[in-house]
Amino acid sequence: MTREEFILQVEREQEALRSFLLALCCGNKSDADDLAQDALVKAYLSSAGYQEQGKFRSWLFKIAHNTFLNHKASCRTMETLDDARPLISSTTADNAFEHQTLYLALRTLPPKERSAITLFYLNGYSIKEIAVITDTSEDAVKKQLSRGRDKLRQELKMND
Amino acid sequence: MEKDKKLEELFLAQKPAFDDKAQFMAQLTRRLDAVEYVRRHQEATLRRYKLAMVAAFIVGIVSGVVTMAFVLSMPADVPLFTFSVESSLLLWIAEHSRLIATTALALLMCFGIMSIISNVQDVLALRHNSIHIVDSTA
Repeated sequence: MTREEFILQVEREQEALRSFLLALCCGNKSDADDLAQDALVKAYLSSAGYQEQGKFRSWLFKIAHNTFLNHKASCRTMETLDDARPLISSTTADNAFEHQTLYLALRTLPPKERSAITLFYLNGYSIKEIAVITDTSEDAVKKQLSRGRDKLRQELKMND
Repeated sequence: MEKDKKLEELFLAQKPAFDDKAQFMAQLTRRLDAVEYVRRHQEATLRRYKLAMVAAFIVGIVSGVVTMAFVLSMPADVPLFTFSVESSLLLWIAEHSRLIATTALALLMCFGIMSIISNVQDVLALRHNSIHIVDSTA
């Protein structure tokens, strides 16, 4: 894949990718965009080996998901500080969202459950596709979705 | 697995709109430029390493063969070199000059081979890091 082809594909997919990462980052736009940029650079570096024609978005999501997990792992020590901070960001893009409740609820889910839920409900992927993207079994995805959905329902009721 | 309709609606209702797409792509292009620069630099370094390795290998082989041929071409009963000084140590060295020269040559070639292997490992690691950077993430 040439650089021009890569950029063309990214232009088509950037909105979906950024939405996915924004949900994973619970509405933190600057973190989501940083992760998106990192993921895209990694994708570009490995684009020579990309052979799954027609599955560019899934491939990109897989890299983005792993970048997010690596980021979460490296920031584990900062989690307690993050929790102490108010969630609502000062950026205009974040304030554009009328409902912060979903992001607050997503924040209570572990990263893997959050990924599965986001891919399933926001991006419309099937369980099989999520298993490929997150590199887990379909049973594991089903469990993550089931647990995540229960927790989200509970959290959203609490917030309501 | 059935989708929870309410959750799905909630997710779809909150689908964000991005009004900074051009800015995002411009930032990405700048990053890709930087990546290209680093990649070109790494490729040039790899080429230099390879050239240096090939040159060292050829020089080592040629000099080793020439020295070995010189040692073997000398008469077996005549020392390779002698000292005009009367000293037991120097006499011993002169007597065993053939053995000493062969040992020194073997050590030198051994050192050269180890150095080449080490360089090859360095180059492979460098290439592995630059090309398969995504393997840990993808």
